[in-house]
Amino acid sequence: MIAPTADAGSSAPPPASQPPLLQLQGLGRRRAGRQAVSELTLSLQRGEILGLLGVNGAGKSTTLSMIAGALKPDRGTIRLDGQDFAEHPELARRLIGWLPERAPLWQELTVSEHLEAHGRLRGLSGAALRQARDAALARLELGDLARRLAGVLSQGQRQRLGLACALLHRPPLLVLDEPANALDPVQVAALRRIIREEAAAGAAVILSTHVLTEVTAVCGRVAILHEGTLRYASALDDADRAALERRFFEIALQGAKPGKAAA
Amino acid sequence: MSMPAVMRLELRRLFVRPLAWVLAALTLAELAWRFVLLLGAFLANEVKLAALPGGPGYTDLVALPTLSNMLTGSGALPFGLAELALLVVPLLTMSTLAGERGNGTLPLLSSTGLTPAQIVLGKYLAVLAWLLLWLLLTLAMPLSLAHATHPDWGKLAAATLGLALALATLAAIGVACSAFASHPAVAAALSLAVGLALWMVNLGAALAGVDNGVVNWLAMSSHLEDLLRGLVSSADLLWFVLVTAVALALAMRRLAVERERG
Repeated sequence: MIAPTADAGSSAPPPASQPPLLQLQGLGRRRAGRQAVSELTLSLQRGEILGLLGVNGAGKSTTLSMIAGALKPDRGTIRLDGQDFAEHPELARRLIGWLPERAPLWQELTVSEHLEAHGRLRGLSGAALRQARDAALARLELGDLARRLAGVLSQGQRQRLGLACALLHRPPLLVLDEPANALDPVQVAALRRIIREEAAAGAAVILSTHVLTEVTAVCGRVAILHEGTLRYASALDDADRAALERRFFEIALQGAKPGKAAA
Repeated sequence: MSMPAVMRLELRRLFVRPLAWVLAALTLAELAWRFVLLLGAFLANEVKLAALPGGPGYTDLVALPTLSNMLTGSGALPFGLAELALLVVPLLTMSTLAGERGNGTLPLLSSTGLTPAQIVLGKYLAVLAWLLLWLLLTLAMPLSLAHATHPDWGKLAAATLGLALALATLAAIGVACSAFASHPAVAAALSLAVGLALWMVNLGAALAGVDNGVVNWLAMSSHLEDLLRGLVSSADLLWFVLVTAVALALAMRRLAVERERG
């Protein structure tokens, strides 16, 4: 296991008086004939980084798709900034930046056009749009690729472009599905830095992965999903970091019953 | 704000893909050939036609037949714009939603807070803008000689309205087929089949010995033919509006169900 960096898990929750930015209550969803997510209850404060761990098929992507507004839950509620997401789907435009798994792109558009299209879909225009585009290009080191078609980008470049699109409008909630996929070690380090910067600036980040080191490196809290249900949820201090791997394998291999109380 | 953003994105995608340019180049070249052939035939008989009191003129023999075979019969001439649209529209619309689904970008659009109606209408209007530009470029051919002839502007306006409505209806059907299909090629085939069926349901029925008002009402060609002849009736306009609205509503419903069922 990689030793946690100095500021790993340092994302401090805001004062208790502030309502959670994201609240999942009894969330459930059937998919492909089986219960992909069941009775999921979680909350996330501004500035927190939550790692959603689980083996393939645990329900992580389904959960993130529902949080991002791409999929409707069968049951339960999602509250964003205190408001019911089902009643106000337009909240997604302003509040959420989503990087889906494998960063889907429009092959025939350039990197720059992607950012502009995402910006317009998020309500940006004119000088604000150009400024956001240029900032995202610089931050993800995509400046040299600005005029390149998405269809010819490498997998790592696609992933960086997907992340740039998610970050473009500086959303208060970042939903990242396997963000380190296909990134080289240098890019992974840059990704971790960006996630910490966003959290330090007050954004809540929820990232899913099946790589334990991703969680231990940046997350302040962890939730483990298995067969669609929440099996473990806890703040992540140094002692927990050491024990996390053992806990994860216990759950993955033995299907352990729910552990610490869900947050 | 968001629907124009979807429309702009779709237009951009249309204009950077080779398919739209290839279709525009090939079809406009074919229509120009048809126009030249019609004009040649008109010029060859111009003196005889001028001697006929109230005989057909440039509008009836060149301008309107450039737009469709319906008034002249297919004969040895290449297709008019209306007939070409049956092939062109499915190719243009096939990727609008089925392509997004295949790319994985459809959930991305949903995650920006767009409703199914905004997604469908944004994409539909982009395709419609391309088709109207195509119609205008085709009309430019007969209109380029307007200064030297005496076009029947009323008849030409009614025909233009009819073709614009036919294109709008075919585009709506194409977008709906793209919403239901899992792959763009399937969407194109489905859209072509529905378009052809609507176009000639009355001819098929007549061949089978059925000739009644309902079948004729169902056929797109019977409504377009009236407009091409310069007859504008609210019943014909209503047919186009109704079919377009039903097709778009089905596409929106399909996207909403997809978001609910995953």
